[in-house]
Amino acid sequence: MILGDLLGTPVFDADGGRLGRVADARFVLEGAPHQLMVEARLLGLVVGPHSASSFMGYERNGLTHPRLLARILRWRHRGSFLVLWEDVAAVGTGSVRLRPGYTRYSTALVGPGKA
Amino acid sequence: MWGPNEGSLVKRLLGVALGVLTAIGGFVDIGDLVTNAVVGSRFGLSLVWVVAIGVLGIILFANMSGRVAAVSGRATFEVIRERLGPRAGLANLSASFLINLMTVTAEIGGIALSLQLASSVYYLLWIPVAALAVWLVIWRVRFSIMENVTGLLGLTLIIFAVALFLLKPDWGSLAGQLTPAVPQQETVWTYSYYAIALFGAAMTPYEVFFFSSGAVEEGWTAKDLGQSRINVLVGFPLGGLLSVSIAACAAVVLLPAGISVTSLSQVVLPVAEGAGKLGLAFVLVGMAAATFGAALETTLSSGYTLAQFFGWSWGKFRRPAEAARFHLSMIVCLLVGIAVLATGVDPVLVTEYSVVFSAIALPLTYLPILIVANDPQYMREHVNGSAVNVLGMVYLVIILLASIAAIPLMIATGAGS
Repeated sequence: MILGDLLGTPVFDADGGRLGRVADARFVLEGAPHQLMVEARLLGLVVGPHSASSFMGYERNGLTHPRLLARILRWRHRGSFLVLWEDVAAVGTGSVRLRPGYTRYSTALVGPGKA
Repeated sequence: MWGPNEGSLVKRLLGVALGVLTAIGGFVDIGDLVTNAVVGSRFGLSLVWVVAIGVLGIILFANMSGRVAAVSGRATFEVIRERLGPRAGLANLSASFLINLMTVTAEIGGIALSLQLASSVYYLLWIPVAALAVWLVIWRVRFSIMENVTGLLGLTLIIFAVALFLLKPDWGSLAGQLTPAVPQQETVWTYSYYAIALFGAAMTPYEVFFFSSGAVEEGWTAKDLGQSRINVLVGFPLGGLLSVSIAACAAVVLLPAGISVTSLSQVVLPVAEGAGKLGLAFVLVGMAAATFGAALETTLSSGYTLAQFFGWSWGKFRRPAEAARFHLSMIVCLLVGIAVLATGVDPVLVTEYSVVFSAIALPLTYLPILIVANDPQYMREHVNGSAVNVLGMVYLVIILLASIAAIPLMIATGAGS
């Protein structure tokens, strides 16, 4: 599976209700060390009810300027949430289904992020 | 364009002077030459306010992208690709790359037309020569030498300002044209169309990519920010004045005679009338140098944007073998430019279209720059101040309006005819 194919795919809950589309995927770097980086592990998917477009970096809550732009981009992504990979029941062609009782996590990243 | 910042005070002052002079000489390209002359010959000075807005805009965004490059050590486009992801990056790339290719074509045509004016040899014969010369310089000549020589030679275009004085115009009536108003023989639609063209010519997207990649080529650091700010803040407004004097020359000589500019020979006509043969010699050297310099910059910008998007190694500071794809892509761009011109399409027409298409692509270029210039992860304490951000947002709105209006106006006016 190619991650690029997953972006924009509709996401449904266990009862078939549409939740939005895959807007992003979150990784954590915590695996075995390699030449350049440690191995990345897929933490979960970001689901956007209104837009599957890029957050343009404004998922980090330390980024607040230019104010108008930040507000517009945050508004475009209002209601978006992170579901952990464990809560994803199935990834099919053209749809992603979540497990019953999945948890919605905040998509915000604290601070400006580290370099 | 910008010498290193070490050494004695005299050396530093010379460095600043050189930087400012090359910024002025490098400001005008074929788009500015043609569009200002066309506008001057048809609308007088009634669109000078657009040049002012355009120059302020390019100062704002060139400064921003120079700062991103100096602080992060990365060219703006690399940061855009990394920060905004491949999708937003690709939108940006395809818009700016295609416009850039069109501009390369127009600049090479401009060199050939300038050489035709100087030699009376048909311009199509000059095109392979011009493209080969551009390629050789990109392949062999050091970045700083390339920038300084073309920038300083481009300064001879100041002859437009000199010619304006020698033409002894009625300054009162010339100043009277400065108020924004649609001339009688024109419609509000053609006026708006040329306003957008002039705006696009002043704010051509390649300038910011070139500016930030050039900063990396020359190894700027946060210490060089002062010098770069002076280059931009002093050099660009004076370059803008040069643009206005091109329009003013056309307004004084061509407008009353009812000649609307459709060729490069008409652009130089007022200079020949005001400053004679010597003036003509100056203007021909200046046009050849300005278009040649811009051809170098746009060709390099094609290589820069492609290489920075796809993550190839790039830069003239590397040997060509170490940046093979970067150099190969520029060769391909030059060949495409030659092929387009070989069809016999009028380079002046290509130029007129390229500045309008530049205006259309502007939001895709400038929005990401504004975003990354606000990212503390790259910029640390050098993020945009709030005044710059307010101005940046105002410009985004202007750019967006110009971009949306461009195509309908192009259709409604039959591309301004």
